[in-house]
Amino acid sequence: MRSAGVVAVFLIVGVLIAISGLARPAFAQVSTQQYSTANIQAGYRLYASQCALCHGGNGDSVAGINLAHQQFRRVSTDADIRRTVTSGIAAAGMPPFQFQPAELDAIIAYIRSGFDLDGASFAVGDAARGKAIFDGKGGCTACHRVHGSGSRTAPDLSDIGALRKPAVIQRSILEPAAAMQPINRPVHVVMHDGRVIEGRRLNEDTETMQLIDRDGQLFSLSKSDIQNFELGRTSGMPSFAGKLSTAELADLLAYLLSLKG
Amino acid sequence: MRNFSRAAIALLAAVAVATPAAAQLTAERILHASAEPQNWLTYNGGYDSKRFSPLTQITPANIRDLELKWIVQDQVFGAWESNPLVVNNVMYVTERPNDVMAVDARTGRLFWVYHYTPAADSHVCCGANNRGVAMLGDTLYMGTLDAHLVAIDAKTGHSIWNTEVADHRAGYSVTMAPLVIKDKVIVGTGGGEFGIRGFVAAYGAKTGKQAWRFNTIPGPGEPGHETWHGDDWKTGGASAWVTGSYDADLNLLYWGVGNPGPDWNPDQRPGDNLYSDSVVALDPGTGKLKWHYQFTPNDPYDYDSVQIPVLADIDWQGKPVKAMLWANRNGYFYVLDRSNGEFLLGAPFVKVNWSKGLDQKGHPIMTPQPAGMPTWPGVQGGTNWYPPSYSPRTGLFYFSVWENYASIFRREDSQYVAGRTFPGGGQSVFAPVPSSPTIGVGRKGPINNWTSDVGNGATIAIDPHTGKRVWTFRQYDVTDAGMLTTASDLLFTGGREGYFYALDAKTGKELWKTNLGGSIVMAPVTYQVGGKQYLSVISGHTLVTFGLRN
Repeated sequence: MRSAGVVAVFLIVGVLIAISGLARPAFAQVSTQQYSTANIQAGYRLYASQCALCHGGNGDSVAGINLAHQQFRRVSTDADIRRTVTSGIAAAGMPPFQFQPAELDAIIAYIRSGFDLDGASFAVGDAARGKAIFDGKGGCTACHRVHGSGSRTAPDLSDIGALRKPAVIQRSILEPAAAMQPINRPVHVVMHDGRVIEGRRLNEDTETMQLIDRDGQLFSLSKSDIQNFELGRTSGMPSFAGKLSTAELADLLAYLLSLKG
Repeated sequence: MRNFSRAAIALLAAVAVATPAAAQLTAERILHASAEPQNWLTYNGGYDSKRFSPLTQITPANIRDLELKWIVQDQVFGAWESNPLVVNNVMYVTERPNDVMAVDARTGRLFWVYHYTPAADSHVCCGANNRGVAMLGDTLYMGTLDAHLVAIDAKTGHSIWNTEVADHRAGYSVTMAPLVIKDKVIVGTGGGEFGIRGFVAAYGAKTGKQAWRFNTIPGPGEPGHETWHGDDWKTGGASAWVTGSYDADLNLLYWGVGNPGPDWNPDQRPGDNLYSDSVVALDPGTGKLKWHYQFTPNDPYDYDSVQIPVLADIDWQGKPVKAMLWANRNGYFYVLDRSNGEFLLGAPFVKVNWSKGLDQKGHPIMTPQPAGMPTWPGVQGGTNWYPPSYSPRTGLFYFSVWENYASIFRREDSQYVAGRTFPGGGQSVFAPVPSSPTIGVGRKGPINNWTSDVGNGATIAIDPHTGKRVWTFRQYDVTDAGMLTTASDLLFTGGREGYFYALDAKTGKELWKTNLGGSIVMAPVTYQVGGKQYLSVISGHTLVTFGLRN
């Protein structure tokens, strides 16, 4: 009886965690949240003077918390952050802070930007709607892959939300060529034996280069075997500027930010 | 009877090991380190820090006959920056945080391990590094992360004495290998990111008692104090975290001094900030300053001058000169007259835009870049603490460089809190695409996803007479590896990629390489046991030793 009771409690707790987890992932707010560059920069100044002493310049000085990477112990939504900053956490030694509402918005914007001081304004919408765009209208899976489905032509995005800041992802959607990281530039390799490989680099050192081609085949080449190597400067990805509404862009961003591996 | 014969065999064995080479390591032997190239007696192989070995058994002709002889594995994670000593067939090498291993230099088997647990609240900016031990007699000396100096019995691996060098709670640490001169053990302190007031100090080798202390920031009433305002000198950094060099004829000890603090906000510490970013020449008996030369006054870029002072006697415009060769983190290569600190030559060895040149005295003409614009070289410098080498045979000076690498620096006011970082702003590595991956202070992993767009490494050879490059061996990733040259005109080095290279020291041509799989973040050493030459290098978590195929 006692055992069954414990199991039942665990089950209920598990279900509750699952529900709360589903209902409140970091970016899946019901309404779209706006974070402006002005607020991010104002938030940085407040953060540096008021928060950095304990949380550190990178937001990772308190154990179990990495503010820039949206890893929290007690909060999830913007409202949670607002409440915690205002009332403090006496048990953890965090004092209450007397901020104006606009100041709180600014600090939240700085945290949500991933401490991206130079980042553009962005908005985060609904992740579920964003997934529908990714799989449907956006046609993203024609090149990208998430959790085992989609193509391997372009980088796998299964953990993109953990790797990139919101403004950077947004820029990749709107200006793919300008935002493309050097490692992802398309390469065209002609080998001394005549083989031609087209794909992108995964790794490189002084002597060798590791590639994946458009069909998902892996190559490790000795540079001494390469006759000609060309690096493309344009991206194969189309710009989605003007193709997605502001709300759709916010939803797509919410979905990509939710991909944490 | 049986017991007796065992004892007799043990005695015989002991006699066999106790060859004349096992004589105590005297100060006189260290002074003449180049006379016993079978050993590696100091951090840089000798007081002149040339890292040049007279050994010639391994040559360009037989380099392809090198084979793996043995490996010792590190028991802890993190960059392994230790430089081994080899004395009388025994290698002494440290591992994180403050362990010492005594290793049979022929087989790689351990005699003992000494464990030291630094205080849990020790602070280091950039990893729990230790770069090695010094030795005198039968005693080893190691600095610790909690800023102590310990003396260890070289035969048993147990401690003899333990002295506090400084208060670790204020951010002091000792990561460098000490230097023994006569009857003293000399160390400098780390902590330049924590608002310390740096110093170099000497301790009695027998007693552990402090003999002298040279503060790298002069106090009130001392010359140089006028280069600081108000109380800035109390928290002005100027750490001394890399081993110095010594000229017995001139009786001068040379030591490189680190960045001023706070690191990136010079507005918070106006003035030249002596002796930060300088080399100081001290009387090793008293610690009194004889001369100094400052490379980067009022430094906003963290251009520590913690490079190794390399002492070479060269011909200078028709006259012999006792020179000091110095490739600085600030991107300039310098030749100084080490008898008096006179500036002889200075020339950039990588792209430099923080200064448009040096004046007649070698002072930089500063050209600070506007906020948000990149500064070359970046925060890790054109080079850094990685030990260079000078070969008297080729007359060339060799070191690792970071090319085409820039940072964007940001100034902010920092408030000093004891034991906390005191940065005065920050910096980010300049990348052609914003927010794309960049080079880290340490290796981030086996994938290079920042690509050469952010910078690349190279091993270069400079002619000290001209300051010009004679050759460049380009590497794709940046490199923190040090150098070793030999009298066979071989140059051994590595890099973050894990390749261990033998280059032709005259031309830079690659003669041999092997992939050891882990970052090489220290210089190789060479030694001889039983008449055979060995080469040891640390890569990742392994200390690998090569020798010629039998």
